[in-house]
Amino acid sequence: MIGYAIRRLLGAIPLVLGIGTIVFFVLNMAPGDPVSLFTSPNVPPEVLDQMRRNMGLDQPVHIRYLRWMGAMLTGDFGVSFARNEPVIDVIRQLLPNTLILSFSALLIAFVGGVLVGVFQAVRQNSIWDNASSVVGLFFYSMPSFWLALMLILIFSLGARNLWDWPIYFPASGMTSIDHPFLSPAGQLRDRFMHLVLPTLSLSLVLAAGVARYMRGSMLEVIRQDYVRTARAKGLPERTVIFRHALRNALLPIVTLLGLLLPVLFSGTVFIETVFAWPGMGKLIVDAIGQRDYPVVMACSVLFATMVVLGNLVADLLYAVVDPRIRYE
Amino acid sequence: MAALTLPLVRNFPEIQMSSRQSRTLGALIFLALASACGESGERDYTGMPEFCQEVLPRVDAFLAGFEHPVGDRYGGTAAVGAIGEIPGGMNALITSDHGASQHQLFVNLMTLVRFDEEYEPAPWLAESWELNEENTEITFHLRDDVFWHDGERTTAHDVEFTYLRATDPETAFPNAAFWESYVRGPEGVEVVDSFTVRVRLEPHAELLDPWRAVAIMPRHLLEDVPPAELRDHPIGTRCPVGNGPFVFDEHQPDAYWSFTRNPAFPEGLGGPPFLQRYVYRVIPEQTTLLTELLTGGVDVYVAAAPDQAPRIMDAENIELISFPFRQYVFVGWNTRRPQLADARVRRAIAFGTNREEIVEALLGGYGQVANAGVPPMHWAYSVEIRDSLRYDPAEAQRLLDEAGWIDRDGDGVRENDAGLRLEFSIKYNRGNQQRQDIAEIMQSQLREVGIAARPEVLEWTTLQAQITDVENRDFDGVVMGWITEFKVDDRDLHHSSAAETPYGWSGTNDPRLDRLLDTLQLVVDRDDARPLWHEFQNELVRLQPYTYFYFTDRIVGASHRIENLTMDVRGEWVSLKEWWIPAEHRRAGER
Repeated sequence: MIGYAIRRLLGAIPLVLGIGTIVFFVLNMAPGDPVSLFTSPNVPPEVLDQMRRNMGLDQPVHIRYLRWMGAMLTGDFGVSFARNEPVIDVIRQLLPNTLILSFSALLIAFVGGVLVGVFQAVRQNSIWDNASSVVGLFFYSMPSFWLALMLILIFSLGARNLWDWPIYFPASGMTSIDHPFLSPAGQLRDRFMHLVLPTLSLSLVLAAGVARYMRGSMLEVIRQDYVRTARAKGLPERTVIFRHALRNALLPIVTLLGLLLPVLFSGTVFIETVFAWPGMGKLIVDAIGQRDYPVVMACSVLFATMVVLGNLVADLLYAVVDPRIRYE
Repeated sequence: MAALTLPLVRNFPEIQMSSRQSRTLGALIFLALASACGESGERDYTGMPEFCQEVLPRVDAFLAGFEHPVGDRYGGTAAVGAIGEIPGGMNALITSDHGASQHQLFVNLMTLVRFDEEYEPAPWLAESWELNEENTEITFHLRDDVFWHDGERTTAHDVEFTYLRATDPETAFPNAAFWESYVRGPEGVEVVDSFTVRVRLEPHAELLDPWRAVAIMPRHLLEDVPPAELRDHPIGTRCPVGNGPFVFDEHQPDAYWSFTRNPAFPEGLGGPPFLQRYVYRVIPEQTTLLTELLTGGVDVYVAAAPDQAPRIMDAENIELISFPFRQYVFVGWNTRRPQLADARVRRAIAFGTNREEIVEALLGGYGQVANAGVPPMHWAYSVEIRDSLRYDPAEAQRLLDEAGWIDRDGDGVRENDAGLRLEFSIKYNRGNQQRQDIAEIMQSQLREVGIAARPEVLEWTTLQAQITDVENRDFDGVVMGWITEFKVDDRDLHHSSAAETPYGWSGTNDPRLDRLLDTLQLVVDRDDARPLWHEFQNELVRLQPYTYFYFTDRIVGASHRIENLTMDVRGEWVSLKEWWIPAEHRRAGER
């Protein structure tokens, strides 16, 4: 399996480089250039030309491509035009925030989705099954942007100002203004409270999808002969469901994990904007608007790498949960 | 394993220790660690650029030697929320953004002069100054008690350095036009002694203005940086070192900036600020930002949308502040197009558009109709033109008839005698509701007078590329906005020499207007200039290179916690140093 993983990784290198190349040329074909940030009649054209020279934009596109590729292979992603600092520093500051958000959302979505799916399958066609299906479909079809605003209005504004709930959640950011003055435990709680609403709005949509898959998969498994055998042996229902049925029903869900990663990254774009969560999603959208080529390029390569890795992990996990699968 | 690590430990004991230490801490209490540093007063500089690791401990050491003032008003944190980052940060040599300029002027850095409440130049870093008879030399006398936050004194050499870099084309200083009538480079500046500096210029209007608008930068930290690399220097956004009333504390990109009181700020300028700490929060979504204001997550919401004003006014303990600003919205016309070449047609467009109604509908009264680019609070503003071009469809029809545009085929759209239809597009950028509304309302109102206007939406950067492309000028009309400086200079917009430059959108070519534009920049005395300014504004009404729509008011929501909060056209941060918070309204735990 290790050999397989290494082969997959080697195969991913040209893939990521190819994606980088395509993005580079498409980006450079888009109208406008980075100095348009300084749109003001106060800025004479000579100054804009000088800025272009300072940014290395006076070179023809194929030269810039070769330079970018050469630098990237040595780990140098250049300097952001709009943020005036090395791209690698920008990413180093923002990537952990996005990872915290997306992995907690992924965790909630999977655990929640699987539990709901199992419950629905076991109680198929009951009122609970139908009710939770309707609720799930409701969240599944919600635009996450809208859902996020509703959560803010209910659990932040409403909870604090209208209904005086004992608990309410901050509407945005990762920490409170008084964060530095809190005790270490208080700081941890502060961070957790800030994580709740963004994680919820990101994971509800995903969880609803996972639950649908899980329900279908579980229904199929539950009718298998070995489940009936387990019941016939007199095993408690709990063991039948969780030990014998769930394990097998989980297989297709693991594949879902790889497919969900890109969805998750695109989801963070909206969520980060609404919740003022300083992360990669907002970074790349801003950078595209500002034609901040180095940032867009670095993010594309990074996202491509993460999606490729995510798929690889999903495939490997598949082998772990399903003994029938062997990678050679 | 042991065989591998042992020699490493022996050879590099320090590296091994520190990396192990940070890894353990990082893994165990990563969340708490990341923020705990601010509490103990010792900041953590690991992972920062080398420059920052070097300079920030010096800042801490220097400021630790000063006593913080004690009194009822001293203490607390004020948090301001706005939708955007501060691009370029505190690097005055590379920024042109409003928020960045505000923070340089009033928070972290200092200018030589500042505007008082009457918008007249007043001493700040410069104690006094004098002009020679011919208005060709200004001599500034600087205060001798202003220190950079790392302990170096601010001197005339810093002024010289800033001037040299700002006028050096290599730097690509975005507001180079500020110094247009100054003698650029080393001939233009002379250090007389440590606290006296002299600059040379040609006589022109508002000649002190650049010294109000551009903050002084520290020579001792930036002298060795090549001008072309100044824009990427960490002093901008990673670890600014200023000399203003607030000291840089922390910047989390896209999240917040935090500043603390500068205890060394000179008594002669009112002494250190009342606030212990000032935080600027970036919250890109306006609904979220309003929620944060209402729930106490920020104390001040800068530049709220007009449709949020009622919510702000209704809220308890929140005050709505509005003040006229230097920003106006207009539709710029490409007069190179045959449909738009005749000024009568452009005047007809203005008469055929109910701008009063649009201001009321879009701004809810927070703004006023504009007829030229001189803002109403400006000394040069002409009251006479305020009511020009009021909505009058009959007059619009008459002007169009007179100009030879008549609906010959009965389809509701006028044609000229060559058969050209009076039809054009109005472009605007995606995501700006006000501009979209303007384009759409114009479309429906102009249809009534036989003009076919067609709104067209484009992504911002694409739109900009199209309208600033000197070769093609691929637009007919475009909805745009400008923020003017206090020193109004429209030569780059309406002068015939600007027609072939990126911002000469209209392509206006009118000798009378050219003469006025040129003369206005040379008249030093305001009383002499005023009649000329009024004539200039009349000319704009006549020529209509733009259909001016409105000057917007700034709308700010502010919590009652904060006392002494005043704002005006100088900006939202103008009085930050004077804000204070009564002890009972401070957040728990705040000093």
